[in-house]
This record gives sequence, C-alpha cells and structure tokens, in this order.
Amino acid sequence: MISTLRAAPRYVFLTVFAIFSIFPLYFMAVSATNSSRDVLDSRMIPGDQLFENFAKLVGVQDLGSAMWNSFSVAAGTTLLALFVCSIAGYAFEIFHSKGKDFVMAVLLLAIMIPFAATMVPLFRLFAEVGLVNSLAAVIIPAISTPFLILLFRQASRSFPYEIIEAARIDGVSEFGIFAKIYLPSMRSTMAAAAVITFMTAWNNFLWPKVILVNNDFQTMPMLISNLAAGYVTDYGVLMLAVLLASLPTMVVFLILQRTFAEGITGAIK
Amino acid sequence: MTTTAPPSERTSRRAAPPRGNRTPSDRPWLSGARRRSLTGWGFLLPAALLIMVMSFIPMIQAFVLSLQTGRGANFNFADPLWSNYTRLLDDEIFKLTLQNTFIYLLIQVPIMLIVALVLASVLNSKNLKFKSFWRTAIFLPCAVSLVAYSLVFRTIFANDGFVNDLLLGLSLIDAPINWLGSPETARFVIILGLLWRWTGYNMVFYLAALQNIDHSTIEAAKVDGANALKTFWYVTVPQLKPMILLTAIMSTNGTLQLFDESWALTRGGPAYQTMSMSHYLFEVSFLKNPNFGYASALSYVILILVAILAFIQLKVGDKRD
Amino acid sequence: MHAFTKKVTMAVAVALPLTLALGACSAGGGGGGGGAGGDENTLTVWAWDPTFNINALEEAEKVYQEENPDFTLDIVETPWEDLEPKLTTLAQSSQYGELPDIFLMQNNAFQKNGINYPDLFTEIDTDAVDFSQFPEAVTAYSTVDGVNYGVPFDNGTAIQALRTDVLEEAGYTIDDFTDITWDEFITKAEDVLAKTGMPLLSGQAGSADTIMMILQSAGASLFDEDGNPTIDDNPALDEAIDIYTRLVDSGVFVEVNSWDEYLGTFVNGSVAGTINGIWIVGSIQGDEDQAGNWAVTNLPRAEGIDGATQFSANGGSSWVVSSNANVDLATDFLAKTFAGSNELYDTILPTSGAVANWIPAGESTVYAEPNEFFGGQPIFADVVAFGAEVPSNNTGAYYYEGRDAVSAAVTQIIGGADLKTALGEAQANVEFAME
Repeated sequence: MISTLRAAPRYVFLTVFAIFSIFPLYFMAVSATNSSRDVLDSRMIPGDQLFENFAKLVGVQDLGSAMWNSFSVAAGTTLLALFVCSIAGYAFEIFHSKGKDFVMAVLLLAIMIPFAATMVPLFRLFAEVGLVNSLAAVIIPAISTPFLILLFRQASRSFPYEIIEAARIDGVSEFGIFAKIYLPSMRSTMAAAAVITFMTAWNNFLWPKVILVNNDFQTMPMLISNLAAGYVTDYGVLMLAVLLASLPTMVVFLILQRTFAEGITGAIK
Repeated sequence: MTTTAPPSERTSRRAAPPRGNRTPSDRPWLSGARRRSLTGWGFLLPAALLIMVMSFIPMIQAFVLSLQTGRGANFNFADPLWSNYTRLLDDEIFKLTLQNTFIYLLIQVPIMLIVALVLASVLNSKNLKFKSFWRTAIFLPCAVSLVAYSLVFRTIFANDGFVNDLLLGLSLIDAPINWLGSPETARFVIILGLLWRWTGYNMVFYLAALQNIDHSTIEAAKVDGANALKTFWYVTVPQLKPMILLTAIMSTNGTLQLFDESWALTRGGPAYQTMSMSHYLFEVSFLKNPNFGYASALSYVILILVAILAFIQLKVGDKRD
Repeated sequence: MHAFTKKVTMAVAVALPLTLALGACSAGGGGGGGGAGGDENTLTVWAWDPTFNINALEEAEKVYQEENPDFTLDIVETPWEDLEPKLTTLAQSSQYGELPDIFLMQNNAFQKNGINYPDLFTEIDTDAVDFSQFPEAVTAYSTVDGVNYGVPFDNGTAIQALRTDVLEEAGYTIDDFTDITWDEFITKAEDVLAKTGMPLLSGQAGSADTIMMILQSAGASLFDEDGNPTIDDNPALDEAIDIYTRLVDSGVFVEVNSWDEYLGTFVNGSVAGTINGIWIVGSIQGDEDQAGNWAVTNLPRAEGIDGATQFSANGGSSWVVSSNANVDLATDFLAKTFAGSNELYDTILPTSGAVANWIPAGESTVYAEPNEFFGGQPIFADVVAFGAEVPSNNTGAYYYEGRDAVSAAVTQIIGGADLKTALGEAQANVEFAME
C-alpha cells in the first residue's frame, strides 16, 4: 500500500509528460482522418476521410518509391554509421592518448559549423565525383558523426579494461576483441545509436533536397514538402502523409527499445 | 568489481608485451604495443577520414569564403580581410538572432536535460508498470517530421486554436493570447516545441547509459542506508557524467545551430523576434540576395561560440579517473 | 564467431555494397535526371504544385504531342522553397550541367537571380515567342537589361473577392465595392462589420503582401529604376501603410499568424472576403457550402497618390529556359504551348483554375464561361482584363530584403511604433543588406 503511494508521484509525472508528448500526435492522427477544411477548423475528433485522403495521396505522389528511398537511406546510414563510429569511439577510449584527445577535439569542431555553410562546397565535391542525384551521396556524409563517435567513446568509459588485457594475453587480435568482446556488451548503446541514427537519417531534409534532382530518388520528407507547397494544400492528406512518414521510425524504436532501456547489464561480469 | 580506465599509451608502451603475445611475424621494431597503437589509429581512420572530407574541407573553404565579398559567384578578397566579421557587429538583425538563440539555449537546454534525466531514471526503476508504453510515448515526438509538428503546433497555438480555447474555457485568461504574434509568447512556443521534440531524444541516451551502470554500486548505497534521492544524486549521476557531458555538448550545439523550429514554427517572426542565427544564415545564403562571404563569416561566429561552450563543458565535465 | 558479431558483420557486408550499388545505379540515371533530358525528344522540367503548374505541363505535353508524337516531358516536382536553394547551390558551385531544360521561377525572384547568376538562363528568342501578347507589367519581371529570360505563365493579377450573402445582409452588393477608393472601402466595410459581425479581409501578420499590392496598384515600388531602396521617402508606401493600419485598427482586417490560419478564415467563414492574387480562388473554393455566394471585383484605389489604379498583382511565375537546355526544343515547346496555344489554356482553366497571362487566351469562350461558385460571374475573363491594366513595378535584386524590411516595420507600426522611425529603420536595414 505504502509503496503504491510512494510510487504515485512517479506515475503522475509520467502521465503528465506522456500526455504532453502524445497530444500533438493525437491531433495529427485525427487530422489524417479529416477533410482539409476540418483540419483548418482544428477539429479534434476523428472523421471518416481516411480512405479518401489515402487515395488522394497515392494519386498525387509516389508514396511507395519515397518510402523505399527513405528506408534505404536510413537503413544504409544506420548500419554503416554503427560500424564506423563504434570502432572509432572504441579506439578513442581504449587506445587512449593525448594525441587522440586532440584528434577528438578537432573532429568535434567539424560538427560545429552550420550545415548551410558547408552545403555549397560539399555539393561541388559530389558533383565533381559524379555522385549528384544518388542515394549514396545522401548516405556518405551522414555515416561518420563526431557525436556518434563521442557517444561510443563515453559509453566505453564503463567498459572494464582488464577484460581486454586478458583477451590480449589469450592471443586475441585487436579487431577480434572489438568484435567478439566489446560489441556484444555494448548492445544498449548500439541500440540507442541505431534508433537515433535511423531517426536523423530518415528525417534528414536539407541535404537530400539539394543533392537529389530526380523523381526517382525522392525521399519522404521531400514528398511531404511537395504536398505542403502547392497553392491549395489538402491538410488532411498532408497529415496522413506525415503520419505514414513517422511510422518507420516508431517501429524501429519499438523494436529496439527493450535493448537500450533494459539492456544486458550483466554482460560485463 | 571496479571499472578501470585504460592506461594511456605511454605507460603501455613501457610494459613489455607478455611472451604469449609474440608471434612469428613479429619483427623487433613492430612490438606488440606499437602494433596495438597503429591498430588503434587504424580503427578510427575511416570515421576520421570521412569527417575530414565531408566536413573539414568544406569548412576550410567556407573560411576562405568568409574573407571574401561579392554577390552571386563573383568574389574578391575583402579589404580589409575581416570586413565581413566587423560587418556583423553592425548588423541589427544578427544581434537580434544572437540574443534569441542564447535565450533558447539558456532556458531550454537545462530544463530539457534535467527532465530527460529524471524521466530516464524513473523509467529505469524496477517496479514500474507499463514501461514500454511510457518510453514509447515520450520518444514518439522525435519520430515525427518537422513539417507535421510545426503545422500541428501552429494550429494548436492559433488565436482560435486549442490552447486558447482551453485556457478561456478554464477561465484562466480573459482574451485569447496571440501566441505567435508577440515576441515573448512566440519564443515560448518555440521553447515548448524544442522541449516537446527533444526531451525523448536525450532520454534515450540516458536510458542506455543507465544500463551500463554497475548495479552493485546502487546496492552498496542502499546497504549504507541512502534513500532514493541521495542514491540518485551521489551514486547514479556521477556515473552518468560522461553521458551527461555528451548530451550537454550535443544540445548546446543543436540549440546554437537551431534552424528547423525557427523556420517552420514561426518563420523567424514576428519581425525577426524568434529567428535563430542559423535561420538568418540560411536567409542570407539562399533566400535573400545571396551574400555567401557574409554568410560564411556568420557561420564561423556560430562555430566559435559552440566551440567555446563545448570546450568549457569538456574541461569541466570530462575528468578521467 | 559470436552470433552477434556475425550479424554485425553481415549487416555491414550488406550495407556497403548496397551503398555502392545505389551510387552506381544513380551514376547511370543521374545523367538523365540531373542534367537536361537525355534524348532528343525529351525535356526535363522542374516545377511545383501538381494541381496547378504540373497539371498545366501535362496538358501542354499533350498539346505539343499533337504535332510531335515522339515528344515527352519529364516533370520533377520541386517546391519553390527548395528550388531556389537548389538553383543557388548549383550556380554557386558552377554545376550548370545539373540544370533541367526548363524550370519555373517566381516572378519576384527573376531580378535577383538574373543579376547574380546570369549563367543559369538562356535568352528567350523573341522570334519564337511574341512577348507583345503578354502584359508588359508581367514580362517586365523577367526582363533583365532589356533581355527576356522568362515566358510568363501563371497569373498573379490581384482580385477582391467578397461574400455576396454577407454584403446583402448589410445592404450592399458587389458593385458597391467596385471602382471605389480605400476610404470608401473602409467606411463600407466598417458598416458591414457592425451589421453582420464579419470582417471583410484577413492576412498574415508580419506579411507585407497587402501593402505591396496597394503599393503596386499605384505604380510605386520599394526600389527606384537604379535599384536604390525608396522606403523612407515614399508617399505611396506611407499611404499604403496608413490604409493597412486603419484596416487593422477598425477590425475590418483580421491578422492571423500563419498561412494555414489565413486560409482557414474564409474557408471556415469567419471572414467574408479577401484580396490576393487570382490563384487564391482555388483555396476560396475549399468550402463547397459557400458556392454561389462569392463574387470578384477589382481593388480599391489609393486616392491621393499619383497613378493610383484599381489593379495590382501578387505573385505569379514564369518559365525559364536554362543554360543547360536543348534550346531549340525548349523554346519551340514553350512557344507552341504557353505562348501560343488557346487549346492549352482552355483545358487547364476549368480543371485547375490556372489563369493565363497570355492575352489571346482571355478571348476564348472558356474564359467567358460563368463560374458557379462565384454566382455565375465569368471571373476569369474579368481577371485577364484586369491583368492588362496592372501597373508594373521595380523588383530589383534586393526585392526580398526590401519586402521583409517593410514587413518588420509594419509589425512594429501596428504595435504602436512611429511610422517615420520604423520606415527609416527599414531603409537602413536594406541599405545595410545591400553593402
């Protein structure tokens, strides 16, 4: 009984914050089932326009292609980023040296410049290698992020060094240590990194819209931007598109959340 | 079992590699430790190389550009060289955006990080029910695209929108508040939007970090008689320091470079009162008559500000044992 | 090998070649997509809005195919908001090879882009396209240093659209609002407000659109012919702002905070009219229940200003033949469709409400057809007639700086600031931006 009372404030706090988080999404979902006029009227209850909106959406935009492109980009970026950044973060911490600290600081500097400023030189770079209008051009700049590297470095702080030493004595190669011992114990961090990277890559808008010039490579954010850009916007259709665009990230989160939130705590032992 | 930090390379170089490590391919000058060192550098090579090419080279080009003036594609070196930077000091709009961005930074970031931390720790407790639900609910805002959430927020905070209806209905206000029309409330809406969108994001990091905390330290504290609050503050938080530092740097960087919300929620209005520095940068580059030299100078100012703050945070928070 | 590691390695093994493959398969397609149409009979176009511009393009394609059956048009939907940064990025990095054959451009952006990045454009052959068939005011936008760079398309002629049922309730008809001055408008609108509780106009706070329309109706601009800002010493602008302030203060003009809200005001019937480019008609028709209760007329004029007229414009765009184009094909296509085909304009008018700038189009019967939503009024024929009377204005390369500075000044003035001071500040800001 007492424990329930003590737990009550927690639940209240969580409820409040959950409502705060969900409410705008509720409005979004409801709007997807309403006509454009009702959306503009801030109608809060679901309507019956869901199928109509969907029909209009696929009639006007190539939904399947955009979903597939977005998915390829997000999945590709996530997989590559996880690998490249985890091994780098690992190296920064396990092979620590002053030199590495310096390199880390320098790399961090790279992320501190607003993207709008580096967009033009980057574009020229890709144009000169002939990669304009390719999904690879969208993926490559996003693979290596100082923050992701930093994440892995910080997470590696709690990794016990003795295990590595023991493995070295056992004759395991450095890469083997990384792959067989370190990675499995870093599951929660990997899961968190995967969710974050997927989400960022999926919602990425500024760079793809500049580097992708062709219908073939349209991503979901671009599709949504198209919908919002007309002289006459159908807000119900727009909200539906947004809802659909948000689903994959939610799915990824749902799959991975157990891992990063209830991860394998005993692995280290 | 305590965790220890890896020795820095200088000490490991002094220790001779144990015999078992010597393989036939070892040559005297490529000792185990030296090879390890090279491997270490090799591991971070792909990541570092990508960043150098994707970010650094453009960054240097941007710096050179910041020393030039001209419209369109005709550039000449400025005379004096720093004129773009000094021009910033005279730019009223820039100063306004600087002020706006700092307001966002100083108010939103601390609140967000603290709330995220508390949420993560609450969600990490053993006896909590419906954990998946809470986690998902709080993370969902991150999954939503920018266009959507700005449209939804604009609608909710419209003069005849939901929030005003609610407040009027509860008799908390007499007349509808012009949320997006006056500077202070418009900034409030942006801060609210930022909190809404990014708290879940940071919560994810803290949740992951909490998994890596050695549970025996918590047990030890309990045995010593510490209550939940004390345990949290004296045992959990210090072990979360690396992650707190990471999120602090990321949030600072993200807020100082804020673009999306300023663009989508308020278009920088009313009259530039909510515009962030990055938004202004984008305007000068792409929406107005392009002045890329000036825009590059502006981007470097942003960079310097972020770097200074990040450096301070690293110095303060990044202590190795 | 540890199962988890196996998964990771496999994942990477899949991701890497996938990325490379994506890169490769694009390099093949990139040439066709990014650059101008690959084969002899295809043109690539960048434009926005499926119901409007893109629909028009598709119809134009059909028209052109009557004479050239092998012709195809590759349309890439690109919102203007994204198109402009793209053009700027391309031009700034000198990658003109990525341009399509044709792209659409907002009229207000021509001067800026024409002056800064002339290499984006190809001069339009005046032998192929007869520019005398377009209103001078409109071609003036896309003319830089006497050279034509755009074929005008969508009409931005301004209209005053009002709810006739609301007017009737207050004892007025649409004729009472035709050919009047702004003073008369304010008086009558206040009366309507008092009798019916409905304001007649709305708009986004902090947007200078209405003021710019009033300004242009008097033949005035924010810049003089040499491109110098004329913000603080501009009687027409002072008058326009004064009119706007009186409209807002009297409650006749409702300021809202976003575009969607603005549309909501007349779609949801809280406001009984609007003044904007003819393209707003599509949004006005957002509520079918209001059909038959609307009418269109010309704008009030700003009495007391030299050159005041009842006509103005807001927006509108033109087709550009890019520097990377198959020039002959592109020019011929535009000449035979947007600058020469009644059939085209007749088709797109009913389906999308796309009103032509091309003067001969207005002479067709389709344009003269009564429009049910607007009480049987042949609004499109009326609009094309209006279009011929619109005074031209100077946009200059710094148009957006000027407009935004004025917007900011107006926000301050509505908030109580002194007009002279606010405009002085706006002038200073624009001069600063022009350094």
